Amino acid sequence: MTASMSQCLMQMVHTDYQISDYQSAITPRWCTGCGDNAILTAMQRLCRDEQLPPEKTVCVSGIGCASRLPHYMNAYGFHGIHGRALPIAEGIKIRRPDLHVFVTTGDGDCCSIGAAHWLHAVRYNMNMTMLLHDNNVYGLTKKQASPTSPKGLKSNTTPFGATLNPLNPLSVTLGIANVSFVAQVPDWIPELLYDVLSKAYHHKGFSFIRILQRCPNFMNHHFDAAVQDPLRIRMLTHSNGLRLKPELSRIYKNQETHDPLDLHRAQALAVLDEEIPVGVLYSNPDVPCYDELRKGKRPNTPQLVETVLNEEFDKVGIWPEGQQAASNGE
Amino acid sequence: MQVAQIITDPQVPGSDASAGAAALTALRPALFARYMALDTLRYDYPLVLVEGEEVQKPLIPLSQIVDEALRLVAPLGPDGEELRQQVLRLEQRMRDKVAKGTEEKLSELWRISSAELVAESGQSTFGPLDETLERAWGAITVDGRVIGCSEATPRKVLAHVWQAMHHMRARKFRYKVDRLVLKLNDILKSDHIKSDEAHSPGALAQSMGLDGDKSIDFSALSNILHRVRPEDRLPADRVARIRHVLQVLQTQAFFGPGRATFSYPDKAVCYSYVFQSCTEALDAYRDRLPSVIEFTKALAIAEMEVENKYVPELHDAIFESFDESDLTEEQMAFLPPAVVFLRDGVTESVELARAYEALACGLPIKVMIQVDDILGPTSPEPPRNSFGAGNARLASMAMGINNAFVVQCSSAHMVRMQGDLVAAMQYGGPAMFSIYSGATKTVAGVPAYILAAAATECRMFPNFSYDPSAGNDLASRFDLSANPQLERDWPEHTLLFEDTSGRRQQETVRFTLGDFALADARYHRFCQTVEAGSWSGDMVPFDEQLKASSSATDIKRAFVLGIDRQNQMMRVVVDDKITVAARRCNDAWTQLQELAGINNSHVLAKLAEERRKREALVVELSTESSLTQSPDEAKTEPAPGAPVPKTEAKAVEEESDSAVAEVLDDMPWIETSRCTTCNECRQINDRLFGYNENMQAFIADPDAGTYRQLVDAAEGCQVSIIHPGKPRNPNEPDLEDLMERAKPFL
Ligand SMILES: Cc1ncc(C[n+]2csc(CCOP(=O)(O)OP(=O)(O)O)c2C)c(N)n1
Ligand code: SF4
Ligand code: SF4
Ligand SMILES: [Mg+2]
Repeated sequence: MTASMSQCLMQMVHTDYQISDYQSAITPRWCTGCGDNAILTAMQRLCRDEQLPPEKTVCVSGIGCASRLPHYMNAYGFHGIHGRALPIAEGIKIRRPDLHVFVTTGDGDCCSIGAAHWLHAVRYNMNMTMLLHDNNVYGLTKKQASPTSPKGLKSNTTPFGATLNPLNPLSVTLGIANVSFVAQVPDWIPELLYDVLSKAYHHKGFSFIRILQRCPNFMNHHFDAAVQDPLRIRMLTHSNGLRLKPELSRIYKNQETHDPLDLHRAQALAVLDEEIPVGVLYSNPDVPCYDELRKGKRPNTPQLVETVLNEEFDKVGIWPEGQQAASNGE
Repeated sequence: MQVAQIITDPQVPGSDASAGAAALTALRPALFARYMALDTLRYDYPLVLVEGEEVQKPLIPLSQIVDEALRLVAPLGPDGEELRQQVLRLEQRMRDKVAKGTEEKLSELWRISSAELVAESGQSTFGPLDETLERAWGAITVDGRVIGCSEATPRKVLAHVWQAMHHMRARKFRYKVDRLVLKLNDILKSDHIKSDEAHSPGALAQSMGLDGDKSIDFSALSNILHRVRPEDRLPADRVARIRHVLQVLQTQAFFGPGRATFSYPDKAVCYSYVFQSCTEALDAYRDRLPSVIEFTKALAIAEMEVENKYVPELHDAIFESFDESDLTEEQMAFLPPAVVFLRDGVTESVELARAYEALACGLPIKVMIQVDDILGPTSPEPPRNSFGAGNARLASMAMGINNAFVVQCSSAHMVRMQGDLVAAMQYGGPAMFSIYSGATKTVAGVPAYILAAAATECRMFPNFSYDPSAGNDLASRFDLSANPQLERDWPEHTLLFEDTSGRRQQETVRFTLGDFALADARYHRFCQTVEAGSWSGDMVPFDEQLKASSSATDIKRAFVLGIDRQNQMMRVVVDDKITVAARRCNDAWTQLQELAGINNSHVLAKLAEERRKREALVVELSTESSLTQSPDEAKTEPAPGAPVPKTEAKAVEEESDSAVAEVLDDMPWIETSRCTTCNECRQINDRLFGYNENMQAFIADPDAGTYRQLVDAAEGCQVSIIHPGKPRNPNEPDLEDLMERAKPFL
C-alpha cells in the first residue's frame, strides 16, 4: 500500500525527544537508593528510544511509593486510588486505543487491595504494560507486611514476624486464563530492566512485569543475596525472549534456554525455590485482546448513540395511526 | 450445453416448398432443443440480488439458495426426501411467478408461494406442509429482490452490484470520518474546559445536572476552579483550523449518515451518483470538484491534527496550493464513483464517444453499455446510434485505453463473472462493462437467457475481464477463462437424435456463429433448409468449411443443423454472407485467445529466444563471479555484517580496552551500564558524578571532588559499581584511612 498524503506530510515533522522531554518539573521524591529510580529511568529511556510523543503516553498508578511515578513522567498521568490503577487504565485504553498505556503499582497496591482487578486485567488482555514494583513491603505507610513479604518479616503489622508464606505474583499471573505476557527482572540490572520493558511494550496484549525492587529504607539488604551472588539469578534466554550481551553473560553464568511459549516450564520456573528466574517467562501474542474484540464497527458518535437509543425506545413506542418511526437511509 | 436431445418426428417431413418456408421462420439451432422449456430447469435465474450490510456475494441464484437450505435441513435418504420434494415444488412455484413477471423480495415471494401451496394442499396454516416450508425458510440467511432474465436484467444487476459496493464504501468512509470527528471534538472539548466560560457558575451548574437541595455553591466552586485552571490554551489558529475541518467533514454530501440518520433530520441531501449519460456524469463531476478537493484536504488535515503533527509553517503552503491535479487515485477511491447506464441503439452515439473519453481521462466513472444486438444489420446501413456488428468489440476497444477495468459478459454469465463485476466496481479508476442482454428484437421465440448463453458459446460475445491493477503484464491482467472449451475455435457438443427410422443416433457438432445466426430473422434469407430426404454428398458441416481456405475451388454447400417448432431436425445450408461473418467472429476470438496466451506461436518464439539469452547470461555471470571471488579480495574487503571479521574486530576492541584499563587503573571509574540512577552519588557531588544520556552515572570530572567523596560514594552505592581509584591529591587529609576503606572497591 502506498503512504497516504497525511502520512507523507506527517513525516516532514521530525521529532527528536530526549530523556529530558519525559522528565517532569518535579524531581523524584523517593529515598536515595530506592529501586523506583531505576524503573523510572528505564521507562524514560524506552519512551525516548520509541520516540513516544508525551501527549500519546499515559502512566496510571494506584497508591504507594511506586505509584508516585506518574508525577515524575512528563506525560499524561493518573495517580488513582489504592488498588484501582488497572480499571482506570482499561477505561483509558478502550476509549483511546491510540495511547500508550503504562501501569505502575506496588505489591500492596496490586496484590492486596487491587488483587481482583489484577486477575481480570490479565484475563481481559488489553494492550498495555504493567509494572509491579515489588519491594515486599508497604513502603509509603512505613513498613507493614504485604502479601509478598517473606514469612517471618518483622514489620509494624507483624511485630513477631509474618505468619504466612508469601504470595507468588508470577505463578498467580501464569495461572489466569488468557495470560499473554509474564516477565521478571530486578531493578539493579538496568540493561535487563530496559530489555524486558521493551519486550513488554512491543508485546500485543497485557504485559505483566514483576520487578524486584529494592527499598533501602525499610528493607535494607533484603535482596543483597541476589545482588551480590549472580548465581542466585537464573537467566532465561531465548531468541524470542532475552538475549544476554557477552558482558552480562560472563557475570550471570546460571542460564537456561527457555521458550516463552512453554507455559508449563514457565509455571515451574515461577516457583523455583533457591533461585530467582529473570527474563521472559511467558509470551504469547496470539491471545485475543478484549479491546480488539470489543472494537465497534462504527465509532460511537453522539449521533449514533442517540439514534440507537431512539430505536430502542421506538420498539416500545405507540404511534398515532398513520405514523411510524422514522426509517433509516444510507 | 453438454448434451442435446432431439427427437425428430418419425415421419419423413414433406418436401413441398410451403413447408420449408414455414420451417424457416421458426428456425433455431439444433443444440437449443433441450433448453427450450427453460421454466422447468434450475439455472442462474431467478437470481437473488442479495441485500445487507456486508455482502461478499451480491448475486446468488435462487436454486443455489434452496440447495444450501436443503443441505442444512433435509437429511439424506428417504427421511429428507419428502421435505426436499416439497421445497423444490415451492421453488418451482417461485420460478413460475418470476417467469410471469413477479418481482418481489425473496422473503415475500417465499411467503406468497408457500401460502398458495399450503392452500392447494388442503392443509391449514401451521399444518405440516406450512411447518416444513417454514423450517426450510429458517435455514436461509439472505434476502433480496428476485429477478428473471430479461432485457432489464443487466441494468438491474449492475445497479445492484454498484449499490452493494456503495454500502461497503459508505461503511469505510463513516468509520474513518466519524472517528476523526470524535477525536477533533475531543481536542476542542479539552481546550474548552480550560476556558472562562466552562468555569462560569452557570456552566458548572449545568454540568452537574439536578441539584435539588441547592447545596452546592457554584460561584464558590467557580472561584476555586479559576485559580487552579491550567493556562495552556490551544493556539487560536489551531482551534480555527480544527473548527473548519470539522465543519467540512460534518457537512459533506458524499455519503449519508447511515444508521445515525435520526440525529441528522436536516442533513444535506447526498449527491446522487447514478446517471443516464456521461455528459450528466461529467457535469456533476465538475460541479462537485471543489467540494471533493475541500473534503480531501480537510480529511488529511484532520488526520494530522489528531496526531498533533500539523505544523503551519510546513503544511499551510502545501494545502493552500492543493488542487485537482494533486488528487491521488486513493483519495478519489475513498469517495463514490459515478455509474452511467447506456444502451446501444437507445443512447445517442455522441454519448458513447463521450463514455470512452471519460474512461480515457481516468475519472472515477463506471460505464455500463448494454447491448441487445450483436450480429448487426446484414448489409452496411447508416448507423442509428449503434455500432451494429461492432457491438461485440466495445469492450476490446476499452481495453486499449489501458487504465480502465473492463468486463464483458452476457447476462447468462453475470453470476459466474460476479467476482469481476465486484472488482471492477471496487477498482479505484474507471471501469467499463459491456453486457449482452440476449433480448434481440429480430429473434423470436428464444428466451433472452438462451440467446445470451449462445452468444458466449458461439464466441460472438466471449466473457472476459481486464484488470489494470492486477499486474504489469497481460497474463495477470487479462482473463478469458470463463469461456467454454477455451482452446478450441468452436465448442464441441454431442447431439442426440432419432433418425427417420426411430433409432437413436449421436453426432459431434460444433456450435458456430452460423448456428447462432439461424435464430435471427434477418439472416433467414441467407439460409435454406434441406430436409433429411434431400441431403447430398456435396454438403459439409459449416465449421469444416470455415477451416478450409477461402480460395478453395471445390465448391461445397456448408450446412448447420437446425430444428423447427416441432423439434424436427434439418440441415440448413448457409450463404457466403454468414460465412464471412463467422470468419470475422473467429478472427476476433483468435485475437482474444492470443491475448490470453493461448495458441500463441509468437509468444512461444519469444520464450525460446529468452531462454537462449538467459543461458548465455548464466555462462557470462559464472565466468565473472569466479573472477570476483579471488582469495585476497575476500580477505581485505569483507562484506559488511560478515560474521568472521566482526568477531575479530571485537577481540581487538576488548584487547585495547583492557590495555587502557591498566593505564587508567589509578583513575576513579564507574561501571556505568550497571548504574540504577538512584542519585546517591550525585547527592554527594554532582560535578564529580554526572549522568550520561541514559541517565546513568559516570565520573564527569575526577578533579571536581575529593578522594573522601569518592570513597563515601563507593560505600553508599547500592550496587557497588563506583571504583575510587588512587588519590589524586597527595595532600588530602586522612588519606591512609581512606585508602584502607577504598580497598574493597579497587
Ligand atoms: C483505601 C486505602 N487503604 C489504605 C491506604 C493506605 N496505604 C497507602 S499506600 C499503602 C500500601 C502501599 O504499598 P505498596 O503498594 O507495596 O507500595 P510501596 O509503597 O511499597 O511502593 C497503603 C495500605 C490507602 N491509601 N487507601
Ligand atoms: S520507602 Fe522504600 S520504596 Fe518508598 S521511596 Fe523509600 S526506599 Fe523507595
Ligand atoms: S550511587 Fe551508584 S547506582 Fe546510584 S547513581 Fe551513583 S553510581 Fe548509580
Ligand atoms: Mg511495596
